[in-house]
Amino acid sequence: MAINTAKLSSILQGFVSATNDVQGAALVTPDGLPLAATLPGSMDDERVSAMSAAMLSLGERIGQELSRGGIDRIYVEGNQGYGILTSCGEDAVFLVLASEAAKQGILMLEIKRAVNELKTVLV
Amino acid sequence: MEIMRLVVTGPVGAGKSTFIRTVSEIEVVDTDRSATDETAELKKKTTVAFDFGRLQFGPETALHLYGTPGQSRFDFMWDILIRQAHAYVLLVAAHRPHEFRYARRIASFMNQRRNIPMIMGVTHVDSPEAWDPENIAIALGYLDPQTRPPIINVNANEEASVAQAIIALVQHSMQSCPT
Repeated sequence: MAINTAKLSSILQGFVSATNDVQGAALVTPDGLPLAATLPGSMDDERVSAMSAAMLSLGERIGQELSRGGIDRIYVEGNQGYGILTSCGEDAVFLVLASEAAKQGILMLEIKRAVNELKTVLV
Repeated sequence: MEIMRLVVTGPVGAGKSTFIRTVSEIEVVDTDRSATDETAELKKKTTVAFDFGRLQFGPETALHLYGTPGQSRFDFMWDILIRQAHAYVLLVAAHRPHEFRYARRIASFMNQRRNIPMIMGVTHVDSPEAWDPENIAIALGYLDPQTRPPIINVNANEEASVAQAIIALVQHSMQSCPT
């Protein structure tokens, strides 16, 4: 069955608008192509997707080489906010951009929920 | 011990990852993922961050080999890798002339950022459709044989052939910037 991209986009849009301090989100393939994205206007889908894939693959490799096991998420914390990458099944990677004001506990819970919802569309 | 960082770049499927895997003394650090774009027509897996290999070169020098991804959406990786490099090799598949223009784009991307020695490695020369290296050089915009980078045929699967390319690159780099 074909992937329902409209559904993916609407889940992302819902996630970004409903979650406090989340500024953008994207779902990308592990080789760095966009599946769906709701990003701040200045950001380019393709570039963000490629970066997400590169970061996750490197992170996974670091996990493996440095005996940290399988990677649940990759966390980039800057002074202007967070970038969080979560693996979303075999075929997708979920990127969330949040402002520095975001509450991390809430963010993690919301991401977990969104990932579960996205997975049901991807299968 | 001196470390020399070499970058291996070129279009998708030119043989960058194979090149590094063939000569590396350590288990190569790769970041391969299943390809879902037009790359999938050429091969199953594609590099999404970089490949890393290491090679001892004489008693005093270690070569660190970094392979770039081929697709331009990963050009931020090209940028990161080339900024650290001492020299680079541009691999071009001789039997895919429609990629020559793209290979030229990669070369100018690199040359805009760093003025470092480079050589051109021509792969897939055994294919019946392979272009002559001379003509590839012209197609890539290297019109003057006096000023163009050294061109060498490479079989990325063959250790001796890859080693030869690396020697050519190191030699060229030493000639260009004598220390």
